[in-house]
Amino acid sequence: MATVAFREVHKSFGATKVLHGISLDIAEGEFVVLVGPSGCGKSTLLRMLAGLEDIGGGQIAIDGRVVNDVDSKDRDIAMVFQSYALYPHMTVRDNMGFSLKLRKEKQNLIDQRVANAAKILNLEPYLARYPRELSGGQRQRVAMGRAIVRDPKVFLFDEPLSNLDAKLRVAMRAEIKALHQRLKTTTVYVTHDQIEAMTMADRIAVMRDGRIEQLGEPLELYDRPANLFVAQFIGSPAMNVFDGTIRNGSVEALGSRWPTAVRGAEGQQVKYGVRPEHLEPAASGIAAQIIVVEPMGAETELVVKIADATLTVMTRGRSSAGPGERIFLAPQASHAHLFDAATGLRIQPP
Amino acid sequence: MREARLWLIAIPILLWTLLPIYHIFLFSISTKDSAFSGALWPAKPTLHNFGTVFRQEHFYLHDFWHQIWNSVWIACATGVLTLVVATTAAFAISRLKVKGGRVVMNAALFTYFIPAAFLAVPMYKAMGTYGLLNNRWSLVLAMVTLASPYAIWVLKQASDRLPWELDEAARIDGATPLQLFHLVYLPLMMPSLVAIGTYALLLAWNEYLYAFLLLSNNIPLAVGLGHFLASDDSPWELLMATALIYAVPPAAIYYAFRRYMVGGLTAGAVKT
Repeated sequence: MATVAFREVHKSFGATKVLHGISLDIAEGEFVVLVGPSGCGKSTLLRMLAGLEDIGGGQIAIDGRVVNDVDSKDRDIAMVFQSYALYPHMTVRDNMGFSLKLRKEKQNLIDQRVANAAKILNLEPYLARYPRELSGGQRQRVAMGRAIVRDPKVFLFDEPLSNLDAKLRVAMRAEIKALHQRLKTTTVYVTHDQIEAMTMADRIAVMRDGRIEQLGEPLELYDRPANLFVAQFIGSPAMNVFDGTIRNGSVEALGSRWPTAVRGAEGQQVKYGVRPEHLEPAASGIAAQIIVVEPMGAETELVVKIADATLTVMTRGRSSAGPGERIFLAPQASHAHLFDAATGLRIQPP
Repeated sequence: MREARLWLIAIPILLWTLLPIYHIFLFSISTKDSAFSGALWPAKPTLHNFGTVFRQEHFYLHDFWHQIWNSVWIACATGVLTLVVATTAAFAISRLKVKGGRVVMNAALFTYFIPAAFLAVPMYKAMGTYGLLNNRWSLVLAMVTLASPYAIWVLKQASDRLPWELDEAARIDGATPLQLFHLVYLPLMMPSLVAIGTYALLLAWNEYLYAFLLLSNNIPLAVGLGHFLASDDSPWELLMATALIYAVPPAAIYYAFRRYMVGGLTAGAVKT
């Protein structure tokens, strides 16, 4: 277990700046997820921590020791790659024990560590197999096993679940989380999938264009997104956002009045945001026309039209409404998010 | 219909290729008198010629075993040395991304613009300068020089196709470049290495011109065969029997490694 600190970390590839001074402190045993769209710099940041990429400027410290000029192998980290990066010519046992073998550890210690990791990951029956003889999920577990046997200070995950199918991804997500709860090793996890971030992280850093847009606990990001980008990136289906104007304590938008707890200046241009599950149908309120009904069993997603905007509504249970029907939506002021139209920054309610 | 047309092309090509080989075979199982009879099959086929060759019972065959040993030695040394040069070069260029690596590779390939025959005399001069003439190493070094650019290129293409993450994983696991080379790189490159080793080996085995120029009495069998034609009354049946024996090892090697030859040599042909 160790702390990790990024201090004003910069990186450029040629003339292109990819990281603009990232600062981030990760506590001992914390599980931090770096999430963002592709090209936001999250993988570069992770690779710099791993020592696979030079640090352009600033400092990276592991357990208080600045590692800018320390070789990957001397940073005491282990990394799980998206492509697994298992050695194809080695058995599962040899793959997992490779790092210890390089460190010239005694064979019985290697065997013991590998056996232990195999037990944790349910890989015992596969130790003599080659990677090509394993399924995607098993390969991913071997990659994790390879990281575990080293007992490193920090685990690094680079989009480890992207190559798996949806069902397996959910299962592996839970396994990684359980593993972290068991080993309590500091973990930095990179993904572009906000659901992975939400479900696994102690804290999430949402990144865009080489900057951290917001850092916080998953529900904090969900409930109080710092800006429009975070608001729309976190949450699935995404938050409904449309233009409006503050008038008499509420927001005038799409030909209706939308409630808000924010007391902005009269006439101020804003973006009004409301999550799909906070737009439940009611007996009266803002009129909307249903375009598509998507039943999912436990809940139903409705795509509705208000004026010329398309919004998503999430209702609990099942809906008897059909396409073309009119419904009423009654959003609550406490669930509304307001953002400055010009800057995209959140306008805090008092 | 398509297949029929294919056969129409394949059969003449096959006959064209096999006819000389059939001729060699025919001579080698004929007696001296019937060798030039023009028959498609000798009246009294015999294996006597092979016995004569193996027992070195002819003026031109006195050094048969010595010469074939020279051929084996030179071919194997060329194969191994080419592999050492090409593998390390390809690893440095493709995996360690050594600065100027590509330039070196392209410069090496550029040497193929000059026909090997033109280089023979300068090579002779160079070997003379280093006192290597009539030393088997001179031919080995010359052959390695000729084989290396192609070998480096093929191995570089093949190693470009190995996933980069493997190197990174190995680095994080604590591997030094040398450990990466022999614990990860070499095992994964094995098919290409077999193909390239075989290529260099056969190149040296089949070489005549350089062998003829660089070696005078410590010669490989290829040059020894040439000596048969030194007199007006050449023992053609023995020459052909020896030639047939000489052709067996490359055919056997090619057959044994054919899987690697096709896969390994075309592996780098296209980027996939």
